[in-house]
Amino acid sequence: MPIDWSVIVEYKAYFIRGLWTTIELTTVAVLVGLVIGLILGLMRLSRSRWLVIPAQVYVDIFRGTPLLLQILAVHFAVIPTICEEWLGVKPPEAIVSGFVALSLNAGAYIAEIFRGGIQSIEKGQMEAARSLGMTYGQAMRHVILPQAFKRMLPPLGNEFIALLKDSSLVTIISVNDITYAAFTTAKNTFERWAPYITSAAMYFVLTFVLSRFVLFLENRYRTDRQEG
Amino acid sequence: MKKLGVLILSLVFLCSFALTGCAKNNAGAGGIVKVGTDAAYPPFEKQEGDGKLTGFDIELMNAIAKAGGFEVDIQHAGWDPMLDAVKNGKLDAGISAISITDDRKKVYDFSDPYFDAKQLILVPANSNVQSLKDLKGKRIGVQTGTTGEIVVQKAFGKTYQGIKGYDDTPAAIDDLANGRVDAVVADNGVVLEYLKKLPAGKFKKVEDQSFEPEQYGIIVKKGNKELLKKINDGLKKIRENGTYKKIYEKYFGPMQ
Repeated sequence: MPIDWSVIVEYKAYFIRGLWTTIELTTVAVLVGLVIGLILGLMRLSRSRWLVIPAQVYVDIFRGTPLLLQILAVHFAVIPTICEEWLGVKPPEAIVSGFVALSLNAGAYIAEIFRGGIQSIEKGQMEAARSLGMTYGQAMRHVILPQAFKRMLPPLGNEFIALLKDSSLVTIISVNDITYAAFTTAKNTFERWAPYITSAAMYFVLTFVLSRFVLFLENRYRTDRQEG
Repeated sequence: MKKLGVLILSLVFLCSFALTGCAKNNAGAGGIVKVGTDAAYPPFEKQEGDGKLTGFDIELMNAIAKAGGFEVDIQHAGWDPMLDAVKNGKLDAGISAISITDDRKKVYDFSDPYFDAKQLILVPANSNVQSLKDLKGKRIGVQTGTTGEIVVQKAFGKTYQGIKGYDDTPAAIDDLANGRVDAVVADNGVVLEYLKKLPAGKFKKVEDQSFEPEQYGIIVKKGNKELLKKINDGLKKIRENGTYKKIYEKYFGPMQ
């Protein structure tokens, strides 16, 4: 079957708008997810049960349910309830639901990456730092986190790439991302190959750039180069 | 060598999977007409809790088959898979509140029209919108790929920022209730059905005279004249013997 690329030209505005929306969504979710993840990750490592249990429950819920359902729940149930019934205002646009759902989800995965990274640093490092007179916070900031960061980079890169692709699910709540452009084009023109290949290529370019960037960071922070 | 063996074995498996997929393509065997639908569009078609398909289209298709002297097997396929399957012959026909449009006519052959539909604008009860034109600059919810979307695209441009495309009409109406869109443009049959479930007095419907009347038709694979004739004959018969009227009134009230 010949592929009719003309439909891409016809609907190019959707693809361009979709590209920016996908980049926007992923960037916000990564940044907010990092903050949520760092907080939750540290909570999980604390000695207080009152911090550990809520963080654990959060991670379990967001890692244990499908992102698609989280997006639908946030968009159609959580945000309207909070806005209309508690605050008495109109709920925001669909893209806000996308930001919220993706960030909350990313936070759960990133929390585990942080925890794993920090726990992988030998106990002696903390002991040594503390014996030098550092406070717990100082030891964390200057000794543990920099080392943990190097180990966290590959899984973080993984998570960012997964997030970029998973952001395609927000198309279900009418957010105009790359997938939305593909679906609209396919449904309106009955052409499937061209829109699907185009959207796949767009995601591929984005993930490729992202993965190279993470590789660059990994190389920069490589232990053997710095210390060797 | 061992690795190569594993590779070849997995390739063989892959191919056989692909081939079983292809084998299912041979439709029409046994004389039963395979009809696809997207059973998520009440009152035209929906799936009951036990998986049974019901709705106006389903009853109509069964009546057409009975009158036309052929057997049908109606199955839920989903909108896009249904369109695809009829296009490539996996299914013989499709009935799913499909509006007859010029674009679709290029890809499918349509039966005679069996239902007159029109687009409705649904707005909150306090809205001052009186026609499609009044929606300029506003956010409009539609079901992606439906004539509702096409109508809005025609009025405000294909890439109008305010078009919000949803997977189904109820989702668009939910967001209308939430205030995320200012109006919904969709088929009258579905809007009226969904309105029954919503609190009374919260929404109102606006009819725009500029909306072109639409008709639903049954699609068959391009060039399948034989099946098309059988369907049209059946449709004609049930219109004449009153069966059509009976089914229509069951779902939509007295026929005008």
